[in-house]
Amino acid sequence: MSDPKPVTRAARRLLLLVTLMTAMPALAHKLKVFAFAEGERIQGSAYFAGGAKATGASILIQDADGHPLASLSPDGDGRFSYRALASIEHVVIARSDDGHRAEWRIAAADLAGAFPVVDRPAEASPPTSGTPDSSVRATSESADQRGSEDKPTRSLQSGDRALDPALVLFIEEAVARQVRPLREQLVAIDDRIRFQDVLGGIGYILGLTGLALWWRCRRTGRRTDRPR
Amino acid sequence: MAHIPDGVLSAPVLVTGALVSVGLLTVALRRLDYERLPPAAVLSAAFFVSSLISVPMGPSSVHLLLNGLMGLLLGWTAIPAILVALILQAAFFGFGGLLVLGVNTMNLALPALFCALVLAPWLQRCPPARIPWIGFAAGALGVLFTGLLVALSLGLSGEAFVPAAKVMVLIYPPLALVEGLITATTIGFLWRVAPEMLTREDNPRV
Repeated sequence: MSDPKPVTRAARRLLLLVTLMTAMPALAHKLKVFAFAEGERIQGSAYFAGGAKATGASILIQDADGHPLASLSPDGDGRFSYRALASIEHVVIARSDDGHRAEWRIAAADLAGAFPVVDRPAEASPPTSGTPDSSVRATSESADQRGSEDKPTRSLQSGDRALDPALVLFIEEAVARQVRPLREQLVAIDDRIRFQDVLGGIGYILGLTGLALWWRCRRTGRRTDRPR
Repeated sequence: MAHIPDGVLSAPVLVTGALVSVGLLTVALRRLDYERLPPAAVLSAAFFVSSLISVPMGPSSVHLLLNGLMGLLLGWTAIPAILVALILQAAFFGFGGLLVLGVNTMNLALPALFCALVLAPWLQRCPPARIPWIGFAAGALGVLFTGLLVALSLGLSGEAFVPAAKVMVLIYPPLALVEGLITATTIGFLWRVAPEMLTREDNPRV
């Protein structure tokens, strides 16, 4: 402290260090996975909270009971895509080799549009689609195996009128496409580390320290003979 | 990285980590040096915030750990400081998890303790010119030991050990270098402005 020169030099160096550290991109290192049902496809991406793409992660798709359905590896942008086989709840799990893990759930309802369940064929009087009952039932039974090419022949009831199922599917997909950036943005906002969280944490640390020191003062105040 | 999230480790590893951490914490609280609480709070806050500044590296991303510096400056007090910061990181940022708190604390506290018990006594003995080197050693060893412990925790939990170890070998040495440089700078700075922080005689001996 006697010689101010090295102190100021060191302080300048420390300041430089702090500036360099804060100039780095403020990225958190938590692995996240985001997935979204678009028609019958589950599309998603794995990334580190803050934006860096997690290209090295492996993606595992499970059903709600934990049975593995598929395992994928994301592309260079961290994106992946999976074709759902049924409208059940899907759990997308991302893992990286060094022990990061993230999970995302897709509710069965999100996929329902691509897999219309025709459970009341007798009630429906299909004026536009001339599909016979038996074939409708067969379609709903084998919905798991069928691809997208035979979907337009299924009928979906909405209120009293039977809408063209192809149109319904198209609307569902279009809405999903439009909503997707919004949902991604919501998740990104949710991921962002808030300044008040940082301040809150520091406040907790200082508060705990103060508490410990107060405790110490109380104890030494009572027994003044204790040096430690 | 150093924050292993919930749902990755197996139960025996979790229990071992929790037991070791509770043991370490008990000893640390018995030996708590109240004089060191204010610096402990500052370093704990630095540790808490430094996890936010992370740099993508290879398949993962890294951030400063500072556990070598904490061990060197705080001795046993580093353990509660690390634990408190880890709890707050899990609560506020979602880094790590509550079930794995024991393992994460152990992985960071054991290297810190190594620095406190092995390297800190050297600070009293060596010539001042060498003091930054001890800082460098503490920073680098703190990171490398933590990496080793994280890889071991993953390996013992039945994760594929080889890819995890590969990632560790890839990302930890550069981080150790950076951390060593930062710890060396900090220790050198402290030696000039507040040498009493380094030459304290009440270094708890085992």
